[in-house]
Amino acid sequence: MSYQLDWTQIWQNRGLIIEGLGTTIALSAVALVLALVVGMLIGTIGASRSRTGRIAAGLYVECMRNVPLLVHMYVWYMALAFLRLPPFTCAVLGLTLYSSAYVAEVVRAGLGSVPRGQAQAAAASGLRPAQVLFLVVYPQALRIIAPSLASLSSQLIKDSSLASVIAVADLTYQAGAIEGQTFRTFEVYITIAVLYLALVFIVSRGLMSLPGMREAPAVGRIADA
Amino acid sequence: MPEVIQQNLPFLLAGLAMTARLAAIGIVGGTLLGLVLAIVRHARIPLLNPLAVAYIEIVRGTPLLVVLFICFFALPSFFGYRTNAVDAAALGFVLFIAAYLAEDFRSGLRSVRPGLTQAGLATGLTPVQVFFLIVLPQAVRRAIPPVFSQYVRLFKFTSVASVIGVRELTGSALLVNAREFQPVAIIATVALTYLVICSAMSLVGRWLYARLAIRS
Amino acid sequence: MSAAPLIVLDHVCKQYGTNPVLRDCSLSVAAGEIVVVCGPSGSGKSTLIKCINGLEPYQSGSIRFEGQEVGARGTDLPRLRARIGMVFQSFELYPHMTAVQNVMLAQVHVLKRSRAEARERSLELLTRVGLRERAEAYPANLSGGQQQRVAIARALALDPVAMLFDEPTSALDPEMINEVLDVMVGLAQDGMTMVVVTHEMGFARRVASRVVFMDEGRIVEDRPSEQFFRAPETERARIFLSKIIAH
Repeated sequence: MSYQLDWTQIWQNRGLIIEGLGTTIALSAVALVLALVVGMLIGTIGASRSRTGRIAAGLYVECMRNVPLLVHMYVWYMALAFLRLPPFTCAVLGLTLYSSAYVAEVVRAGLGSVPRGQAQAAAASGLRPAQVLFLVVYPQALRIIAPSLASLSSQLIKDSSLASVIAVADLTYQAGAIEGQTFRTFEVYITIAVLYLALVFIVSRGLMSLPGMREAPAVGRIADA
Repeated sequence: MPEVIQQNLPFLLAGLAMTARLAAIGIVGGTLLGLVLAIVRHARIPLLNPLAVAYIEIVRGTPLLVVLFICFFALPSFFGYRTNAVDAAALGFVLFIAAYLAEDFRSGLRSVRPGLTQAGLATGLTPVQVFFLIVLPQAVRRAIPPVFSQYVRLFKFTSVASVIGVRELTGSALLVNAREFQPVAIIATVALTYLVICSAMSLVGRWLYARLAIRS
Repeated sequence: MSAAPLIVLDHVCKQYGTNPVLRDCSLSVAAGEIVVVCGPSGSGKSTLIKCINGLEPYQSGSIRFEGQEVGARGTDLPRLRARIGMVFQSFELYPHMTAVQNVMLAQVHVLKRSRAEARERSLELLTRVGLRERAEAYPANLSGGQQQRVAIARALALDPVAMLFDEPTSALDPEMINEVLDVMVGLAQDGMTMVVVTHEMGFARRVASRVVFMDEGRIVEDRPSEQFFRAPETERARIFLSKIIAH
C-alpha cells in the first residue's frame, strides 16, 4: 500500500472542520424546527375529517417526498435563482420542504392511532375542537411518534450534507476544500464520516433520553421511505 | 413539452437509463448484501456478527454523499486502485442501501413466530432447512413494505451520483442547463420525472403489499 | 309535573352510508327521570345516546336538549356538552394525566375555574366516588372499576343537568361491576337525570323510572320500569329479557 496516513494535516485544518460542523448544526437545527412545524400542520390536516384536507395533505406529501432532496435544492438555487436567495436559505428551504413530508406522514399516522374514544370523551366534556387536539390528542400522539421523529432528525442531519453541493460551507463542503489543499482524501472523509456519526448518535440518544420518551412502538417504518 | 427538453431528449433519456441502471444495481446488490448481513445478525454468527453490527451502524450514520465520496476518492487512493464515477457510485449505492435493508430484513426475521420454527423442527427438518424453507420466506414476505420503500428511496438517491460526475438524470439535466441555460424548464421537468416514477413505484409497492396481505 | 322535558327526541333517523342505524326514534326524558335503554347488540342504543350530545350526527328528525336543537347549524355544541356528562364503555380516561388531573381538565378549560378551585372540587368528587386516596394515580395503575368511577367523577365535574351512560359496566370484570353501579345508584337517588344504556337489569329494577327497549334501530317498547319487567308487551322484549335474566 503506497498510501501513507497523515492525520496531522487534518489537525492543522481543524478550524475549517469546526466551521463546517457549525454550519451543518445550524442548517440542521433550523430546518428541523421548520420541518416539524410544517409537518405537524400538514399531518394534522391529513388526519382531519375533511376529505379535501386529507387529499390536499396527501398530495403535498407525495410531491415533496418523491422529488429527490438534491433536486429540491436545485429548484431554489437554480430554477428560482431570480429570487437571489443565499445558498444557506436555499438549503434550508429544500431540506425543510422535503423533510416536512416525512414528518407529516408520521404525525398523521400517530394522530390516527390515538383511540377515537379519547377525542369523543374530551368533546363530550365540552372542550372545543382546538382544546381536544392540544390537551388530549397531541400529547398522546407525540408519545407514540417520538421514536420515529428521533430517527427523522438523524436522517435530516445526514441529508444536510447535500447543501455542500449548492455551495453551503457545511462539513462536507469543508472536507472537499481540505482535500483539495492537502490531498489527504482518506483521512478527511473518514474524519467527517466519524463526525456525522457522532452528531447523529448524540442527537438520537439525546432525544430518546428526554422525559416521557419510553420505548413506544414506532408507527411503522414510514420514516425510512 | 418545452423546446429545450425536446431538443435534448436523447441525452436526457440516456441519463434516465443510467439512473435506472444504477438503481437496479443498487437494488439487486443491496438486497443480496442486506440479506447476508441480516442472516449474520439474526443467527449471531460469531466473529462476523460484531463486524456486521459495526458495518450497519457506521453506514447508517453516514450521509450518502460522504459514502459516495469515500468510494470515489478515499478508497481508491488508500487501496491504490483506479475507478470511474459510475462504478464508484454503484458500489456506494450497494454498500449504502445494504445497511438499511439489513435492518428491515432483520425485523422480518424477528417477526416470524417461534412456533413456526418449532413446528418445522418437530417434523424432522434440520435447523438449516427450517431456516431456508420456512423462516426466510416468511421473513422476506413480512419485510416487503419497508424494503420496497427503501427501493423507492434508492431511486431518488441516484440523483446524488451527479455530484461525482455520473451522467444520470440529474447530472445530464445539469449539463444541458450549463449549455442552454433554461433552469426553470429543465429542473421542473426533472422534478416531475422523479415525481411520476417514484409515485408509480410507491403505488406498485402498495398493490404488492395488498396482494401479499390477502395471501398471508 | 308539567315542566318541559329536558331531552326530547322526535322521529330521529340516522344511517351510516346506506345502512340505517336509527329508525324513527322518539323519546322524551323529564328532569329527574332515570331511563334505561336496553336491547340486543346492534340495536342502535349507543348511537342513540351519542346523538343526544351531538357526538354522532343524525340525518332527520329532531333532538332538543333544554329546548335547544342539537343538530341545528348554529348550536354551540361544546357549551351544550358542558351541561351533559357522558360516561363511556371503555372509560376513556386520559392516560397522560393523573385521576385528579382528568377530573380537573374540563373545569379549567371549559368552565374557566382556577386550578385551585378545580382541584378542590375534583377531590370532593373523587371522595364521592370513593377514590380520594387514588387521586394522584395514573389510569394505568387503576383497576377497571376504579377507572370507571374516576370517569364518572370527571363527568360530574361540570355540574351537568343530565348524564348519559354508554354501557358503563360492559368492559368490567364481574367483581367490579357493583362498585360502579353503587355510585350510579347514589347519583340516581340524588336526583340526577340519567339515560343509561346497559344490560344490568338489576340496576334497572332498582332505580329506573322507565325502560326503553330497542331492536334493529327502532324503539320497540318505552314503559315504566315496573310494567316492563312484569309484563313486556312485545315478543322480542320478552325473548331478550329471558336471555338476559337467565344468566
